Amino acid sequence: MRTAQFHRFAALALAAGAAVSVLAACSSSTTASGGGKVSITVNCEPPTSAAIDRKSFLADIAAFEKANPNITIVPKDEFPCDDPNTFNAKLAGGQMENVFYVYYTDVAHVVANGQAADINKYVGAVNGLNDIQQSTLNVFKGPNGDYYGLPRTNYSMGLIYNRALFTQAGLDPNKPPATWDDVRTDAKAIAALGKGIVGYADYSASNEGGWHFTAELYSQGGSMVSSDGKQAAFNNDQGKAVLTTLQQMRWTDNSMGAKQLLTIPDVQAMMGAGKLGMYIAAPDNLPTLVKQYQASYNNLSIAPMPGNNATLLGGDGYMFNVKDTADQIQAGIKWLQFEELTPGVGQFNYQRSAAAGSPVGLPEPDLWKGTTATTDDQAKAKYANVPSQNYDQFSNAMKTKEGKIEPPSAQQIYSVLDSVMSAVLTNKGANIDQLLSNAATKVNSLLANQ
Amino acid sequence: MSDARTLADRGTRSLASPMALRSTSGKITYWIVFCGMLIGFVVAFLFPIYWMITGAMKSTPELVTTPPTLVPHQFHPGNYATAWSDMNLAQYLTNTVIQAGGAWLLQIILCTAAAYALSKLKPIFGQVVLGGIIATLLVPTQALVVPKYLTALDVPLIHANLLNTPLAIWLPAAANAFNLYLLKRFFDQIPDDLMEAAGLDGAGPLRTLWYIVLPMARPVLGVVSIFAVVAVWQDFLWPLLVFTDGTQQPITVGVEQLAGNLPLNETLAALVLASAPLVAVFLIFQRHIIAGLGAGSIKG
Amino acid sequence: MAVTTPIAVRPEVTPAGGRPPRRRSRKLGTNLTAYALLAGGLLCFALFSWYPTVRAFLLAFQHTNFVGASHWVGWANFHRLFSDPEFADAWRNSFEFSGVALVLGFGVPFVMAVVLNELRHARTLFRLLVYLPVMIPPVVVALLWKWFYDPGNGLFNEALHALHLPTSSWTNSTSTAIISLVLVATWANLGGTTLIYLAALQNIPAELYEAAELDGANIFQRVRHVTIPQTRYVMLMLLLLQIVATMQEFTTPFIITGGGPQDATVTVLYLIYKYAFVYFDYGAACALSVMLFIFLGIFSAIYLRLTRNTD
Repeated sequence: MRTAQFHRFAALALAAGAAVSVLAACSSSTTASGGGKVSITVNCEPPTSAAIDRKSFLADIAAFEKANPNITIVPKDEFPCDDPNTFNAKLAGGQMENVFYVYYTDVAHVVANGQAADINKYVGAVNGLNDIQQSTLNVFKGPNGDYYGLPRTNYSMGLIYNRALFTQAGLDPNKPPATWDDVRTDAKAIAALGKGIVGYADYSASNEGGWHFTAELYSQGGSMVSSDGKQAAFNNDQGKAVLTTLQQMRWTDNSMGAKQLLTIPDVQAMMGAGKLGMYIAAPDNLPTLVKQYQASYNNLSIAPMPGNNATLLGGDGYMFNVKDTADQIQAGIKWLQFEELTPGVGQFNYQRSAAAGSPVGLPEPDLWKGTTATTDDQAKAKYANVPSQNYDQFSNAMKTKEGKIEPPSAQQIYSVLDSVMSAVLTNKGANIDQLLSNAATKVNSLLANQ
Repeated sequence: MSDARTLADRGTRSLASPMALRSTSGKITYWIVFCGMLIGFVVAFLFPIYWMITGAMKSTPELVTTPPTLVPHQFHPGNYATAWSDMNLAQYLTNTVIQAGGAWLLQIILCTAAAYALSKLKPIFGQVVLGGIIATLLVPTQALVVPKYLTALDVPLIHANLLNTPLAIWLPAAANAFNLYLLKRFFDQIPDDLMEAAGLDGAGPLRTLWYIVLPMARPVLGVVSIFAVVAVWQDFLWPLLVFTDGTQQPITVGVEQLAGNLPLNETLAALVLASAPLVAVFLIFQRHIIAGLGAGSIKG
Repeated sequence: MAVTTPIAVRPEVTPAGGRPPRRRSRKLGTNLTAYALLAGGLLCFALFSWYPTVRAFLLAFQHTNFVGASHWVGWANFHRLFSDPEFADAWRNSFEFSGVALVLGFGVPFVMAVVLNELRHARTLFRLLVYLPVMIPPVVVALLWKWFYDPGNGLFNEALHALHLPTSSWTNSTSTAIISLVLVATWANLGGTTLIYLAALQNIPAELYEAAELDGANIFQRVRHVTIPQTRYVMLMLLLLQIVATMQEFTTPFIITGGGPQDATVTVLYLIYKYAFVYFDYGAACALSVMLFIFLGIFSAIYLRLTRNTD
C-alpha cells in the first residue's frame, strides 16, 4: 500500500471509529458529584402552559437551594408527568430521574422490578411523616414493609356535575344523585335538554376506561381481584351492575351521547364547554376544568361517589432511582419534604396560591390526619377563593366512606377492561356476561405471569 | 391554434386517442372529467387542510357550534401564537430539525460511501453484504421495534445508552437499505470506462468518488435526501419510545402528548405548525420531489 | 422497485496462476478502502437491523423484563399468546386492515393515475394536490381525522347531515372502525402510489395504444390490454410493499382509537407494543414479532417467486 493510500485509509478508519467513540461518550449519565455537593434531577416540573405553577415551582427550588447550598435541584419538564403508554419504556430504559413522579398504581410494579431505591433508612428525616394518613403511606411500602417513596397527593373519586344544567333540567343542584339509579334518572333529564348536551360521560380508552370501571365497581361494593391478588374478582353481579347501568344509559336512555372512546381531556372539554351534566372524577379535575376549559368554579360541584360502598383512592408521589447515591436520596427527601410535605410551604403555600389567583379551598390533596389536617384546613379556609360549599357533601362523605386502593398490576388490568368498557358503550348488543368472562380470563393470565 | 389541437397535442399520446379528443363530444367529455377531477381533488385533499387551518383560527364556542361555519366569523390568528408559546413548539421543532438533519447527513455520508464501495470497488464478500442489506427490505422493520429498542438501551459491546440522545434517531436511520440500494443502482449505471480513465489519471478511488461520481449523482442524492428527511420528520413510534425526556422529543411526539390538553383550536394550530415546515419544503422542491419519486422507484 | 431486482451473483475473477505481487497489494488496498467505506454503514445495519433480528428470535424463548435475570422458557411465550383472545383479534384486524387497504389504496390510485394521465391541463396542480397529504406527518393526519370522525359534531357527520344522508359512528363502532382507519391511511398515502403509477404510465410507448386502436380496441379494452400489462411490474411491486406496510400499521389506531372499540383496531404491531410496554413482557412481544416476521418473510418470498416465474 502506498503511503498516500494508507493515509486515506487511516482517515477513513478514524471516521468510522469516531462514530463508535461518540457512542461510548454517551454511556455515563449519573449526576453525582464530589465535594459534599449533590445534584438531583426531579421530574414533573409544571409545563410552560401552566405558567403560574411553573413560576412557583422554580421559586421554591431557588428558596430551597438557598437554604441548602450544597444541593442542586435539576427540574425536568415532562408533560404528562406520567404517561402510562411510555412509563414502562422509560423505566426499563433506566431513564428515570433521581427523584421521579409516580401514580399509586405504579409503585408496586416499580418496586417489584427493582427500579426504586429503598429509602427506609432515611424517611425518619421527614418531620411530618406521622401526620400523613397511614393508608397513603402504605402505598409506598414494598412487600418487605420498607419505604420506597413518599406521597404527594391523595384523592378519592366523586361525581363532578354542572350545577346550571341541573337547574335547567329541573333538578336541584344541591341534591346530587346518591345512587346509580339516581345518576341514571338525572342523566336522562339532562340529556333531554338537547342541543348536544350529554347527561353522563365515561371513559373507554387509554386505560382510563378500566380505571373508571374499577371506581364504579368499588362503588357497587365489588373488588377487582381476590384478596390474595391472584384472581380476577369482577366477573360477578357487581361487575354486571356497573356495565348494565352504563349500557342502559348509553342505549336505552340515550343519555351518554354518541361519541365514545373518550379519554380524560375529551370529557373535560365537554364539561368545560357546558355540554356535559356529570362524570366521575377526583377533585383535582376542578382546577383543570376552570383553567384549561373555561368552566367556572361557581358552576361546578363535586358529590360523593354514588352508592353506599367504597370509593377508589388514588394519588401520586415520588420514588427514588435505584442508582441514587445515599446523598442523593437524602437530598431528594429533603426536597420532597420542603416542596410537598410541609404545611404552609410549597404546594401548601395557600397564601401564595391565592395571591397568584390559583384556586384555594378544594377538597384535595387529602394527605394529612389529626391536628395537622385541622391546621391545614384552617389555613386553606383562610385563603379560600373557591366556593367550598360546593364540595361539602364530598368532604363530609370522605370522613366515613371506605377508601379502597387500586388493584395490583393496575395499568395492565385497566388495559384489559378498556375493551369491556368500549364494547358496552359502542356496541348496542354487547354481551356483558361474555365480555366479563373474557376479561377475567385475560386478567388471570396477566396476574399469573407477574 | 385551436383548442382541439392543444388538447390532443399536449405531450405524447396516451390512452385517449387524439382523434377522439378533437371531436366535440371528446372535448366535452374531457372537460367534464377535468372539472370532476379538479373538484374532487380540491375537496378530498385541500379541504381537510383548509378545515384544520381555519379551525385553528376559530374561537372555542364557534368551533363547537352546529352546523359548523365554513369561514370563521371572527379570525383569531393569535391562537397560533398561543399554541406556539404554550406548547413550547420552538423546542420541539428544533429537536426535529436536529434529528432529521443529523440523520440526513449521516445517511448521505454512510450510504453513499457504502453504495460506492459495493458498486465500484467490489470488495470480496461484497455480494454477501449487499444481500444482507437488501434482505432487511423484505422483513418488517417495525416489528423489530422491541429488540431495536433494547439495542438503543444498551448498545452491544460498548454498553452505551442512546435513549434521549439524537444518536438514537441518527444511527438506525443510517441503516436505510432502500436509499443505499437506490444509490448503488445509480452508481452501477456510471460506466466503468469513466472510472478507469480516472484511475489512469492517477486518481484513487476516493478522488474518483469525490470529483467524478458525486457531481454526477446530484439528482439521486436529492431524492435520497428528501426520503431521509421526510422519514425522520414523520416517524412516531420510535421517537415516542426513545425520547422519554420532554425536552428532547420531536414535534410529532410533542403534539401527540399535548393534544387534547389544550383547547381544540390551539391543538389544531399546533398541528398546522407541525406540518408547515415539511409542506413548505415540498412546495419549494416539488418538481424535484415528484420527478424523483417516479424515477427513483421505477428504475430501482 | 428496488426490492425485486434479483441480486446477480458476480463471481470474482480469480486467475489460476500467481499474480504479480504489485497487483495483489492493489487488490488488498482496494478491499481495505472498500471496507473502510462500508464500515460505518455496516455498523449501523449490524446494530439496528441484523442484531435485533437475531435477538428477537432469542428473546422469544425467554422470560425477561431486563431488570431481574432472564431465563429460557421454551414455548411458554407462544402459549401465552395463543391463549390471549386479543391475539386472534389482532391478526384478524391486521388482515382486515390490509385487505381493505388493498382495495382502496391499490385500486383508487391506479384509476386516478390513469385518468390524470389523460389530462392535458393543470398537471402540476393535480400532482401537488394528491401528494400534499403525504407530506403531513401521520401523527397530525391521525389527530386531524380523529376530530373529523367525531360522531357528535365532527366534520363528516355534519357534512352528511347537511346533505341529508345517514350519519355513521365511524371509529366508534366495531363494524366501521377498521374501514375508518383505512380511509385515513389511504388518504395520507395514496399520493405516493398515484405518482409512481403516473410515472409508469408515462413510460408506455404511444405506439402500443395506436396499434390497439387500429385493432379496434375501445378505451376500456386498451386499459385492459395495454395499460395494465405495461404497468404490471410496478403494480406487483407496490402491492407487495403495501401489504408489508399495512401489516405493520400502528400510528393510526394508536392515536385515533387506542385499539378500541372492544379491541376492534388492535393490530399485530399494536399488540407487540402492548405486550412490551404495557404488560412489560418483552419475551411475548418478541415471540409475536417473530411470528409477524416469519409470516411476512414467507409471504414475500412466495410472492416474489410467483411473480418472477410469470415474467
